[in-house]
Amino acid sequence: MPILEVNNIKKKFDHYNILNGISFSMEEGQAISIIGSSGSGKTTFLRCLNFLERPDEGTIVVKGEKIFDASMPPENPKQLRERRLHFGLVFQQFNLFPQYTALENVILAPRLLKDGRSEQELTDMGMDLLDQMGLADRVNQYPHQLSGGQQQRVAIARALALKPDILCFDEPTSALDPELTGEVLRVIRNLAEKKTTMIIVTHEMAFARDVADEVIFMDKGIILEKGPAEQVINNPKEERTKQFLSNLNN
Amino acid sequence: MFWTVTISLLEGFLGTLKLFTLTLLFSLPLGLVISLGSMNKTPIVHIPIRFIIWVVRGTPLMLQLLIIYYGPGIFLGNNIWGSGGNGRFLAALFAFVFNYACYFSEIFRGGIQSIPVGQYEAGKVLGLTRQQIFFKVVLLQVIKRIVPPISNEVITLVKDTSLARVIAVYEIIWNGQAFIKSSGIIWPLFYTGLFYLLFSGLLTLLFGYIEKKLSYFR
Repeated sequence: MPILEVNNIKKKFDHYNILNGISFSMEEGQAISIIGSSGSGKTTFLRCLNFLERPDEGTIVVKGEKIFDASMPPENPKQLRERRLHFGLVFQQFNLFPQYTALENVILAPRLLKDGRSEQELTDMGMDLLDQMGLADRVNQYPHQLSGGQQQRVAIARALALKPDILCFDEPTSALDPELTGEVLRVIRNLAEKKTTMIIVTHEMAFARDVADEVIFMDKGIILEKGPAEQVINNPKEERTKQFLSNLNN
Repeated sequence: MFWTVTISLLEGFLGTLKLFTLTLLFSLPLGLVISLGSMNKTPIVHIPIRFIIWVVRGTPLMLQLLIIYYGPGIFLGNNIWGSGGNGRFLAALFAFVFNYACYFSEIFRGGIQSIPVGQYEAGKVLGLTRQQIFFKVVLLQVIKRIVPPISNEVITLVKDTSLARVIAVYEIIWNGQAFIKSSGIIWPLFYTGLFYLLFSGLLTLLFGYIEKKLSYFR
């Protein structure tokens, strides 16, 4: 059974069609990269998965359970919160909470959600996650004391702390200085090796090819091409995909 | 004479302090309510509230004091404030609370709207409730941002309390001025400045301390 099935997701803003029917499915442990030019709907799609936007049409099925159906009445806040927890989202701009230390950022949500873990267990979990991110010596620092790459790694730990079924990344390195992208990509690569189910919107083509199992090329709100990462990036079938990739190389 | 004046001014200053403290006590929470109203998406809610804020901020506080104290008696034929010093104090307090709440509401609105939308979205994707996002994520960031403008307003309030004398509310300037008539001396009136200065100095230190306490994050 696929871990995620997305069927015919459509989204309009005012009169502009941003998503024109997105459908695909993925298996547990897969990493999928979404590429495409800006305005193609990549970010909007991730925001729909995380219920930051409500799709106008379509359904979302996680582990066989239909968690979203646009034809049903809008979800109440409690349902919305429960369904969101199937997904994690790492933002382009990190969005760490500035008044909390790295560790507090990671354990704030699990603590407030009262999932039964004790304070000690939460702290241990947070320390462990930050250690995996290579930040063991930074746990008590505040976001403004960390570099962009470090902040983004804290944000990844924060998303992992809620054990989402699918972790989404929205251009996780786009706001970083070039010399800091490596440390973040390395962390995501480690997660892929540990078979974390991930959807990664990115402009790093080499990274997408090396880390993702599959690559989706989005254009004008549809999936124009989807296939094994190596094939889509090295030998795209569609003319538009070729054009996009060659524009990047120039 | 110096001690007589000092004691009298201290008594007057108690009146100033009373008005100051009670105004803050009521106008800060009322300001928060008004700011939430002025940010409400429904026009039926935010239009009248923004209109009131405009009127209150657009007219002199001294005029508001006079209208609020004398208005009910003149237009309704009924002095709702009661007679004597207590009635006048109540009317003055009402005018100050209403006036300052409107100014505070704009400061709160500015503070709340300055928080990046990403903070709310990060809270949402972590499964937090609206209340948790407001109280655990946003509120402290808002407070940090509004401390400087609030401190400005608070220090202005210290001095604005002297306006209450237009409806004969006893405060320090009133007492200082009384010496002109009773003893023919004007220095007690000038001397009142020292009380204001010391008190606003104290407040400046207090707000500086709060700012420093909140400087551990950005």
